[in-house]
Amino acid sequence: MERLWPVEISPRAKYLRTFWAELARTHSHLLWLGLLADAFGFESMFLQFWRIRERVLDLLEMTAGHRVIPSVNIIGGVRRDITPEQKKVIIDTLDIIRKESDELVKVVTRDYTVKKRTVGIGVVTKEQAIQLGCVGPVLRASGVPEDARLTKYDAYGDLNYEPVVETAGDCYARTLVRAREIFQSIDLQLEALSKLPEGEIAVKVKGNPPKNEAVMRVEAPRGELFYYAKGNGSRNLERMKIRTPTFANLPSLLVMLPGCELADVPVIVLSIDPCICCMER
Amino acid sequence: MPFMLPTILKNLFTGYATRLYPVQVREPFENARGHIRFNEDKCIMCGVCAMRCPSVSITVEKKKNELTFYPARCIVCEVCIHACPSDAIDLIFKWRTPFYEKPVEIYKSTRIAQLRETADAATDAATDAAKEEESAKEDK
Ligand code: SF4
Ligand code: SF4
Repeated sequence: MERLWPVEISPRAKYLRTFWAELARTHSHLLWLGLLADAFGFESMFLQFWRIRERVLDLLEMTAGHRVIPSVNIIGGVRRDITPEQKKVIIDTLDIIRKESDELVKVVTRDYTVKKRTVGIGVVTKEQAIQLGCVGPVLRASGVPEDARLTKYDAYGDLNYEPVVETAGDCYARTLVRAREIFQSIDLQLEALSKLPEGEIAVKVKGNPPKNEAVMRVEAPRGELFYYAKGNGSRNLERMKIRTPTFANLPSLLVMLPGCELADVPVIVLSIDPCICCMER
Repeated sequence: MPFMLPTILKNLFTGYATRLYPVQVREPFENARGHIRFNEDKCIMCGVCAMRCPSVSITVEKKKNELTFYPARCIVCEVCIHACPSDAIDLIFKWRTPFYEKPVEIYKSTRIAQLRETADAATDAATDAAKEEESAKEDK
């Protein structure tokens, strides 16, 4: 939204935004791994993952106030700051989360039952993925190193970031991508916190959105999220378009589903991490 | 299964991961967004909060000196808190307890009420004075 005016936000706000985005990614991927386990009936693992996720939610509540949706972004910066004491707690908790996830991710990547239900199921080849316009972990699991974070928005330009890529294109590859992204995301959070610059967290933005257009691509946990906004100088925007990652990933089901076994349908549909309410706009 | 074994064994010998909820309650964090409360002494019924609220949780009727708040709609986004020109909205970090019926809270601004009272008193006084004058005229 700041691109409409345009205003430049402070470096601290950029780092804080990155931190919260990555924290939300950790929570989203943990949630997804739990749901995947649930989809093929591995109930105990489902709850184990959600137990770890609870720690992430506590961190979110401590820093942002809300448990799932941080709602810290405002036009011009962020609403909350992270104090040094909070920083310590966050670093300790992230350590615990990393240890606990490591234990469980090993189960996911090595267990016979998990492999049986995911390896070779719902394959999307690299060409198909590009042709169908997949985004996010689905695209990366098919061997395309594409990620909106590579456009270096917010603080990603200063952080050590490499997209996680797998080549198989099946449900197992998508699981691996998300599992590895959890650890990457924890690393990014720690890096963002250690490099956190001093300064203002928000700049004041005055007036209504001017007559201007702005486009923004960000990498949400599910994939690339696209925003378009057009202002006309009045209080309300003339147009606002949001394309959610699920909308982009849904066509890939057309090549994943035909010919599969009925019992695999939940796992395949879940493997694109669908959010139907986001898609329906 | 063998890979899950360490986790299973650990779980066997550790306590519950959950809390005995109604008995044991975890305190919310210091700046958690529990709910919001309006301060009747500070509110001036300007209606900015109602205009800005993304979930239409507030309506302000200045004529009636009434601010109606629908807590069930509120997502505690803090927009109104930062928009309020007279700092009349406080963030309370405790969560609301569950409810059976959607609550509706009505607030009245004390400042406006006072102003109205003095204004009413003034008009009353004015009408009284006018009446007296009239009766005085009639007497003449
Ligand atoms: S709470 Fe604040 S913004 Fe809302 S009507 Fe009262 S003074 Fe205005
Ligand atoms: S906190 Fe947000 S949702 Fe709740 S009343 Fe204020 S503006 Fe509306």
